[in-house]
Amino acid sequence: MSTLIIKDLHVEVGDKEILKGVNLTINGGEVHALMGPNGNGKSTLLSTIMGHPKYKVTQGTMTLDGKDLLAMEVDERARAGLFLGMQYPQEIPGITNSDFLRAAMNSRRDTPISLFKFIRTLDKNIEDLHMDENLAHRYLNEGFSGGEKKRNEILQMKLLEPSIALLDEIDSGLDIDALHVVSDAINSMRSENFGCIMVSHYERMFELVKPTHVHILVSGRIVENGGYELVEKIDNEGYEWIKEKGIEIDNEEDFNHGIILGACGKKEQLNNE
Amino acid sequence: MNKYTLSSQFYIVLTNGECSQSHLPDRVCYHDGTISFCNLSPIEVQIVYLLDKHQQMDVHIEIDKNTEVNIIESRILAKDSKLTRNLVIKEDAIVHLFGENDSSDGEILEDIHLFENATCQYGYAELSDGDFNGIYHYYLDGEGAQAKVRMAILSKEKEDKHYEVLIQHNKPHTYGQMDNYGVVKDEGKLVIDGIGTITKGQSGSASHQNNRIMVFDEKCKASANPFLYIDEYDVKASHAAGVGKIDEEHLYYLQSRGLTKKQAMQLITYGYLQPVIEVIDNDMLKERFEKALSKVGE
Repeated sequence: MSTLIIKDLHVEVGDKEILKGVNLTINGGEVHALMGPNGNGKSTLLSTIMGHPKYKVTQGTMTLDGKDLLAMEVDERARAGLFLGMQYPQEIPGITNSDFLRAAMNSRRDTPISLFKFIRTLDKNIEDLHMDENLAHRYLNEGFSGGEKKRNEILQMKLLEPSIALLDEIDSGLDIDALHVVSDAINSMRSENFGCIMVSHYERMFELVKPTHVHILVSGRIVENGGYELVEKIDNEGYEWIKEKGIEIDNEEDFNHGIILGACGKKEQLNNE
Repeated sequence: MNKYTLSSQFYIVLTNGECSQSHLPDRVCYHDGTISFCNLSPIEVQIVYLLDKHQQMDVHIEIDKNTEVNIIESRILAKDSKLTRNLVIKEDAIVHLFGENDSSDGEILEDIHLFENATCQYGYAELSDGDFNGIYHYYLDGEGAQAKVRMAILSKEKEDKHYEVLIQHNKPHTYGQMDNYGVVKDEGKLVIDGIGTITKGQSGSASHQNNRIMVFDEKCKASANPFLYIDEYDVKASHAAGVGKIDEEHLYYLQSRGLTKKQAMQLITYGYLQPVIEVIDNDMLKERFEKALSKVGE
């Protein structure tokens, strides 16, 4: 069982401080929902854990099973067991999915995976995720629809079997059928050996993948911790009630209009508008 | 040095201007610096050029009318050596060439003349170690002649490489296209000059070129220079040229899956040069190119 511990994390982009002291502990077997208005630091937190060079840690610590993540390069963090399912996966022309996936799988093995085993594993997961059969031969995310890209992130997660996964709005761009496929895939990984932080704006995602812990990140700090009841509260009331607690919210104009409903939003909410 | 693999049934090895080894089919012969192809059915022949330090070699290749040939070339030149090659492709002949440059230094000057309705498709894998100067000139001397050139170049470890590809249209209704892709890293230097020339009176001709270079670090020097000299109205011509930096987000994405920076750069290099293979419609060229590129960065 792995443990990711974040203590008093402060992060800057350029000269602006985005995270202002985040504390969070994730153990194997747990699924943490990270919610909060747009522009308050959720993606920054996930990208910082993974080690994106744009984000500068000015204070605090991050450890995975006692190892100092801040001293590790991006690829070392990945091989140590972290995985970031990205909000906007990169399109890389010229590199086929299968070449990439095989290289990624081999990067954390002592002996390279046999071609036969690789193809068998890949084919099974492509089928489970209802993906295009030709996916292996297509270039990495190039020309993929939004939903295909997200499923490709989940495919990578399944093949790489991380101990802690960070999923950044993995449900955006998914239609309702794809949302079920993706949530089934995430649920199938749940075990003592798999911990997860999920960022999403939608209750639907957390209805399908039930979190064990829920956190609300506002203005670079986690201001509320709780269980599933917090997801329901946000789904019903938005984030206005946070302000009543005297907490300032960054980029307020972005969410003052309430939650933007995507394809996976609740139908009854749409009708109420 | 001097390592080559003979992979075709028929081959000829030319060492410092002399034939040192050969097994050629009927109607293909070598005499006094000239290889002549008069084969009746399509064949594949491998030609190996070996030049030691300070050596020079002149080779003349002649492809007879209506002949169809696949040629695989291994070019292995040592420091300060120079290969001058003249290739003449006669009427209605079809030639596919794959040239793999395994030199440690050197210079190649190449003149290729195409007669009426002759077709030449040439794939260059320019992944050699060391400085290099390649001057490849195509002359479309017969109406309906077609030349398609694809080049993948890697300049690394302070190598200084220069390539000049000219396609000159000397007759009407001729077609020339070049796609030159380069990757420069570890303080390497690369200059690609692409030149399309359509002389007066060559109506109905088309000259297209695409030169692209990706650089990996700030100390690299790269320049992709397109030149179009058009002296006729009724023609089609286009050019694209660009030098760009490696996309840091691509590197981050690959590294976030556990690939080391070196592995990620290797995959990106392969991916960048890959389009050169894509446009090839000949299986032999495609296979050879893929094999050559898969070794990039190893």
